[in-house]
Amino acid sequence: MEERREAEIKEKGWEPKILAFLCRWCSYAGADLTGSSRISYPANVRILRVPCSGRVNSLFILKALRSGMDGILVSGCHPGDCHYTAGNYNARRKFAILSRLLEYVGIDPRRVQFSWVSASEGEKFAKVVREVVADVKALGPNEMFRLDPGNQNGGKPAASPP
Amino acid sequence: MPETIKDELIALAAKLFREGKISHFLGYQKGTLKFQTTPLIALNPEDLQHLWLEDFFFFNLAFYLKEIKNKVGLLVKGCDSRSLLSLIKEGQVKREDLYVVGIPCPGQIDLRKVAEAIAGEREEIEEIWRQGNEVHVRVNDQEKRLPKALALLDKCLHCRYPKPLISDFLLPGEYAPPVPPATPETTQGLSRGRDELRPKPLPEKWAFWVDQFQHCLRCYACRNVCPACFCPRCIVEENMPQWVSPLPTAGDNFVFHLMRLMHVAGTCVSCGECQRVCPMEIPLMRLHDKMAEDLEELYNFVAGIDLDQPLPFRTFRQEDADDFIK
Repeated sequence: MEERREAEIKEKGWEPKILAFLCRWCSYAGADLTGSSRISYPANVRILRVPCSGRVNSLFILKALRSGMDGILVSGCHPGDCHYTAGNYNARRKFAILSRLLEYVGIDPRRVQFSWVSASEGEKFAKVVREVVADVKALGPNEMFRLDPGNQNGGKPAASPP
Repeated sequence: MPETIKDELIALAAKLFREGKISHFLGYQKGTLKFQTTPLIALNPEDLQHLWLEDFFFFNLAFYLKEIKNKVGLLVKGCDSRSLLSLIKEGQVKREDLYVVGIPCPGQIDLRKVAEAIAGEREEIEEIWRQGNEVHVRVNDQEKRLPKALALLDKCLHCRYPKPLISDFLLPGEYAPPVPPATPETTQGLSRGRDELRPKPLPEKWAFWVDQFQHCLRCYACRNVCPACFCPRCIVEENMPQWVSPLPTAGDNFVFHLMRLMHVAGTCVSCGECQRVCPMEIPLMRLHDKMAEDLEELYNFVAGIDLDQPLPFRTFRQEDADDFIK
């Protein structure tokens, strides 16, 4: 798997893989509108639909980083617009603490980004994705979590043996 | 601590047992190692004779409330009482099931720090006693004096709550911080400005934590000793889906430790037990302090001091910080 990945990088150049958690009511519909309005945005993003941004556990984000995702985008309804009244307000507190912790252990905040995109903001969704992709491209591949053979995607040996 | 206080405590606990107000009494007994106490779980008045209140009672006894779901009497230091409040708030224990006895704490001695300060081994220490503002240590028949900052646990140097916040009975003694708060920073922040890592650039921070976490054995001592970790089944033991590989690799250790932090956010009272028990001496309290400060700064939330204040992730305000969201 690792060889295949490296061969692909050699052939086509490195492209970041971004995982986007989109809330079912706003951002997913927003992304849909981007498509139906024929606005193009980078294909680096893999969309995962969740019922609400409040459904996104911080573990999902950590696991995605561990599994080799180069960047994460979590997007939900604007404050006040949550289908479940307060899911995004609760999510916001969790993400604020998580992103500060990630920053403290040395993970660039640009790797894990958050946004509010409503169902009518197709334009904004394309803009957000373009920005995230540009940020992650500037940061380079996520080698940080591929430090050891434990990586399920077939990581490299440890940078320095413990 | 004078014998009279111990006798008073034994009499009190025995009375509680007789009246059926408690079924267990949690205290400290003399340990088998030097400068160690072992938690005492007394099931009847006879067990109380093993109580030992001399020194080195660093255990946070609130930990046992995770398992002993009964009417319990227990000794708490000021900092431990915050764990009680947190557990009550989380619905893990009921206030009316507890009989809380406050114990004055002169600041707990950190044997690792002492061994480091005298540049020797823990086993070489013959005696430790306190005198005024210093801690005296006898090693190889030589007496050494250490300032408190080099002998006490880090958390004791920034002690904000020397007096238990809930108690049914306070043992007589002085309830004062072991080190007088010198600057407003030490009283207001938990460790604000102490951590030299925070202003450093990201790659340096990452290198620091990789170096720490690649030594993690995943013995789960930090999780097992934590009074705030009370899930009957921990997510690291889940295998369908498997969130964290059980192999102690640096990447998975990151996921485990960050996940543990997020799970105890709001319940963690920075009691420091996780760092104390870590066999690899990973400075976990830096992460916990950082999180506690963020919670205080963003949401004005300090864990375990106010029963009426809701847990930070179970409430929100419309004007919460939003600047990190696009």
